[in-house]
Amino acid sequence: MTPLEILVATLTGQAAPRIPVFCNFLDYGPRELNMTPKEYFSRGEYMAEGQLKLLQRYGHDNAWCMSYVGIEAEILGCQEILFPKKGAPNVKDFVIKSWDDIEKLTIPDDISQHPHWQTTADCLSLLSQEIGATNPICAYASSSNTLPILLMGMEKWMELVLMGPKDLREELMRKCSDFCQQQIKAFRNAGAHIILYATSFGTPYFISKKLIAEWAVPWMKNDLQGDAGGIVYYCGGAPMNEVVDTVMKEVGIGAYYISPLDDLTEAKKIISTNGLTCAAIDDIKMVHWTVEQTRAEVKRLIEIGKPGGHFLFGSSLMPLELPEENILAMIEAAFEYGRY
Amino acid sequence: MFEKYVKDYNDAIFETDKEAALAVVEAAVENGVTPEEVVFKIVMPAVEDMMQLVINNLDTNLSQHFMVAQIASEVTEKMLALFSAPPEIIGKVVIGSSVGDLHSLGKRIVIGCLKAMMVDVVDLGVNVSAVDFVNAAVEHDAQVIAVSSMMMHTATGEEGSLQIRELLHERGLEKQIKLIVGGSPFRYDNELYTRVGADDWAPDGISAAKIICQLIHEVQAS
Repeated sequence: MTPLEILVATLTGQAAPRIPVFCNFLDYGPRELNMTPKEYFSRGEYMAEGQLKLLQRYGHDNAWCMSYVGIEAEILGCQEILFPKKGAPNVKDFVIKSWDDIEKLTIPDDISQHPHWQTTADCLSLLSQEIGATNPICAYASSSNTLPILLMGMEKWMELVLMGPKDLREELMRKCSDFCQQQIKAFRNAGAHIILYATSFGTPYFISKKLIAEWAVPWMKNDLQGDAGGIVYYCGGAPMNEVVDTVMKEVGIGAYYISPLDDLTEAKKIISTNGLTCAAIDDIKMVHWTVEQTRAEVKRLIEIGKPGGHFLFGSSLMPLELPEENILAMIEAAFEYGRY
Repeated sequence: MFEKYVKDYNDAIFETDKEAALAVVEAAVENGVTPEEVVFKIVMPAVEDMMQLVINNLDTNLSQHFMVAQIASEVTEKMLALFSAPPEIIGKVVIGSSVGDLHSLGKRIVIGCLKAMMVDVVDLGVNVSAVDFVNAAVEHDAQVIAVSSMMMHTATGEEGSLQIRELLHERGLEKQIKLIVGGSPFRYDNELYTRVGADDWAPDGISAAKIICQLIHEVQAS
């Protein structure tokens, strides 16, 4: 079976030779091509080439058609991104500097025609041609509750959510939800199989479960418009176990990228065979683990998740500081212990 | 009646209801509670209660931390102007986000709590170089440098906390200035702070304020 067939079999509860093994090599492309992040993310061809080379080098299942998170802000008018020498680029210029800017914020009629979308579109198109029939291609979309962080910063967004005028907050959510719908549609049309749906305010680590249920969840429903196909619920690495049940019932999302800070046994029990449990290894700790410790943790996670199927093993954000031998050990162990 | 103010204020904080919290303070002052009592017997204990909940791993979230800090900071500022005598400041801290890091929420929570705990705070903003951290700490005679980093490369980069430690060592300042770090990567790897040369770390803004106060006392006692 191809990695894509294995993923589909896992999602649908069919027999597969092993669990899917995902790696999120988001920051590794520039190093692979010996480029600065700024140069690498300037062209979709580079991004696709980087992902294909990483796929070849490590043999994991998935590729990413993602440039950097701030690209969403650039589509909406951000003028400056801070490119570090290594690591993830940051939004430096906030589009919303005062609450008055919320009214002025305009969502393009068709983001797939926007110049800033083209690098992602080119990358996705190339990956689809090369590996679209065999390997899962992943994309990233900020939910309506997360995009405002890129537009105004977490501090100001938290202030608006908790203390600001509700009408302004809802106006911004409406615009961001419109953007999110368009982005998901554009990804699907261009051949992405998996969309990591980032919902920073969808975790009880950030806000109360009550606010998630009464405010965030209705907007998630609006973001997805009744189609949760290929969507993976992701809270930026924050715990989510306590809300999985609600999101599953109310929003219909079937796949959950469980935080290393969550109890995986509990997550597997909640999701069961009703969806896909994706276990993320703590790859920040892995930076300082030995090969043996890395293998042991992979084994532990897979032993919890594999029984009963509907289980995927994956990395978290894979910092560049990870020793090469630990990356190789993680993937090798995942294939070894992930066999059915 | 006083206990009711304390309870109502705590309830409002827990529900992240700023208006209700401010109304409690206003009513208390109108009914004869002194500004000193508001700060030391209502606001500060509420911050400490939240610290205790966090330490005991009970169900609190970032929005509650944000609100307790925000309201504590606002109320303290208002009340300080009404104090009969200037309060005793327990110490001073310089705080900022590490070089290359533009995140500011955690820092703001720490600042809010510290203000209510009578700690003088010099906010250096975001994307602060190691040299600027150390120079500011010396200039302001601060006992603690607090560095917030939300990304792995800003937490562990050579130009961040590691360089601050180097500078403190080179200038012979390690006894009089302590270094604390916080932010997402440290929550995943609780030993990471030792690898970036910090004296201590905190998993969240509320706990950070408590640990900073302890570090200030350590420096003053040495």
